Amino acid sequence: MTAGAGTRRGRAGVRTARGVPPASGDGANLLELRGLRTHFFTRDGTVKAVDGVTFEIGNGETIGVVGESGCGKSITAMSIMRLIERPGQIVAGNVVMHGRDLLKLSDEQMRDVRGNQISMIFQEPMTSLNPVYTCGDQIAEAVQLHEGVSRRQAWSRAVEMLQQVGIPDAKRRAGEFPHQMSGGMRQRVMIAMALSTNPELLIADEPTTALDVTIQAQILELMKALRERNKMAIMLITHDLGVVAEMADQVVVMYAGKVVERSDVTTVFERPHHPYTEGLLRSIPRLGERRARLEVIRGVVPNPLNLPTGCLFKRRCPYRMPICDTAPPFQEVRPGQYSRCWLTPEHEPPTVGLSPAPEVAEEEAERLTVAPR
Amino acid sequence: MERVELNREGLVLPATAPNVAADHEEIDRTPVRTYWQLARQRFVQHRLAVIALVVLVVLVALAYIVPLVTGPLFGRTNLAKIDAPATLEAPLGYDELGRNTAVRLMKATQTSLTIGFAAVLIIVGVGSLVGSIAGYMGGIVDNLLMRFVDIVLSLPVLFIILMIVALFGAGNVWVVIIAIGITGWTLAARLIRAEFLALREADFVQAARALGAGHRRIVLRHMLPAAMAPLVVAAALGVADSVITEAALSFLGFGISSPEASLGNMLTNAQEYFYSAPIRAVYPGLVLVLIVLCASFLGDGLRDALDPRQRIGK
Repeated sequence: MTAGAGTRRGRAGVRTARGVPPASGDGANLLELRGLRTHFFTRDGTVKAVDGVTFEIGNGETIGVVGESGCGKSITAMSIMRLIERPGQIVAGNVVMHGRDLLKLSDEQMRDVRGNQISMIFQEPMTSLNPVYTCGDQIAEAVQLHEGVSRRQAWSRAVEMLQQVGIPDAKRRAGEFPHQMSGGMRQRVMIAMALSTNPELLIADEPTTALDVTIQAQILELMKALRERNKMAIMLITHDLGVVAEMADQVVVMYAGKVVERSDVTTVFERPHHPYTEGLLRSIPRLGERRARLEVIRGVVPNPLNLPTGCLFKRRCPYRMPICDTAPPFQEVRPGQYSRCWLTPEHEPPTVGLSPAPEVAEEEAERLTVAPR
Repeated sequence: MERVELNREGLVLPATAPNVAADHEEIDRTPVRTYWQLARQRFVQHRLAVIALVVLVVLVALAYIVPLVTGPLFGRTNLAKIDAPATLEAPLGYDELGRNTAVRLMKATQTSLTIGFAAVLIIVGVGSLVGSIAGYMGGIVDNLLMRFVDIVLSLPVLFIILMIVALFGAGNVWVVIIAIGITGWTLAARLIRAEFLALREADFVQAARALGAGHRRIVLRHMLPAAMAPLVVAAALGVADSVITEAALSFLGFGISSPEASLGNMLTNAQEYFYSAPIRAVYPGLVLVLIVLCASFLGDGLRDALDPRQRIGK
């Protein structure tokens, strides 16, 4: 895999070659998050926005990160890019890419990773482009920044990128300002900018949320096409399960700063394990289905300053059991499917008893807490 | 995928070649207007700014060309012509020492404009440096710098300038420029800082960061251009302010003194003849008002013209 990256992009290859050998045994992963914790130290207390997130992104894989607003999806992405600002701070964990922990790099090295190896598309195409430069200028700048080519070369590259993302009459459009374009086109420009340096990983933070449904479909198609062509991995952050079904290979479901379920996309849709995932799936409206009301997940997301003890979802969970007062382990319920819930794989209450003494539950938790890898 | 290919084909078609493509591949031939073309169009819409620009250009041309041609004439006294009326070579008459008022007025305008523009360079330079550092870094740096600005603001400016000029040489143009510059940058710094505080959180700045841009690049390439509007306003106000301050200084006898000419010392001279020849105060006064007004209007127009978000309306 290192060799592959090396042939594709010389600089990254060289860097990997003299870097530390990959920390993990299997080299199939492009990026590994291990126990990432990002906390915000506010006046009212510590908000654990991301609290022990572990997952990995394979080469060329698309991973969908799903969850309600405020569950820590975007903060996870920002942490990977190390764009967290005060009062936020990454307090623990590793973000390993090509055997290097991104969190331990110098600012200088990190700047080189950003854009070069990992690019990011933001949610708001309307405000994510600099209003005082033309679109072509902005893409050309990204190219120049990382590849040290001439202004002219960078510009022709920018035009080429705009063609690639399907902007008609790219030569002309490159000379236009962001405000002269529609939302969908701006998002295309953002994508062109993010891809202009051939990143290995593209983080797309709700890339289609601000767009209407037709444009949304176009953008997703575009991302798929570019994914095939550039052989890059995508970390797709969204709360739209439809988008996940369309795009993702693997799904990570987050709730209140923790990963509650992780598996491949088919399993998540066919046999979700965690009650939260179930709830999310049930609250999708279906075409042609007559129902008085859409099903919802009862209750609200817990206040991050005052999280419940034990299972974070217990207040809203239809399966609530006494054991839920103890934090459930993140366990493999089926091969490749991990869930942070006490329910057995068959969705039965666990055998430890319906009201175990706290010590027993604690013990059980210890026993079941096997590191997911 | 298909669409991507299709567009690529559509683009390969040279715009000049007679193309037989279907309607949907038609190429839009309306020329794309460049940044400067757009800026000019926006500027032209500002009628007052255009007038101000014309007046300023005329003033600057007169102020820098006339003294060049006439040489030391502005200071030459002629006892035979004391208080002589206007003639063709002295359209504004002669003053109490027999000096050609028109030529002298031009030289005075030159001095004042030089001081105004040079001081504004210092004001904008120091102001944007301090303001952008404070706004970008935030936190304790911001706090320290802004408290320093508060201190400078709380000082009696005219007194400080008088002190500097008195210490380092009255009548020296450069001392006056530096004195005005280093006391006048606070407003610019505050405006730039406020803009930077907002811009720092802007999505496009985040995006630039996510693309791996360093601090210097973010500040210089992304934030400063976006903060152009307040900077231009600060500069316009700075020109007006500096010219007025210079006039005040010379009026008090600390700025530029005779035989050198400045609008301020011309006003001082005119003071004595306020009842006998009030028109003598009008000439430098009028030029002073014109410069200050034009600078403000021009600043307004430039601010709108340089902001690509501004629509070209009407």
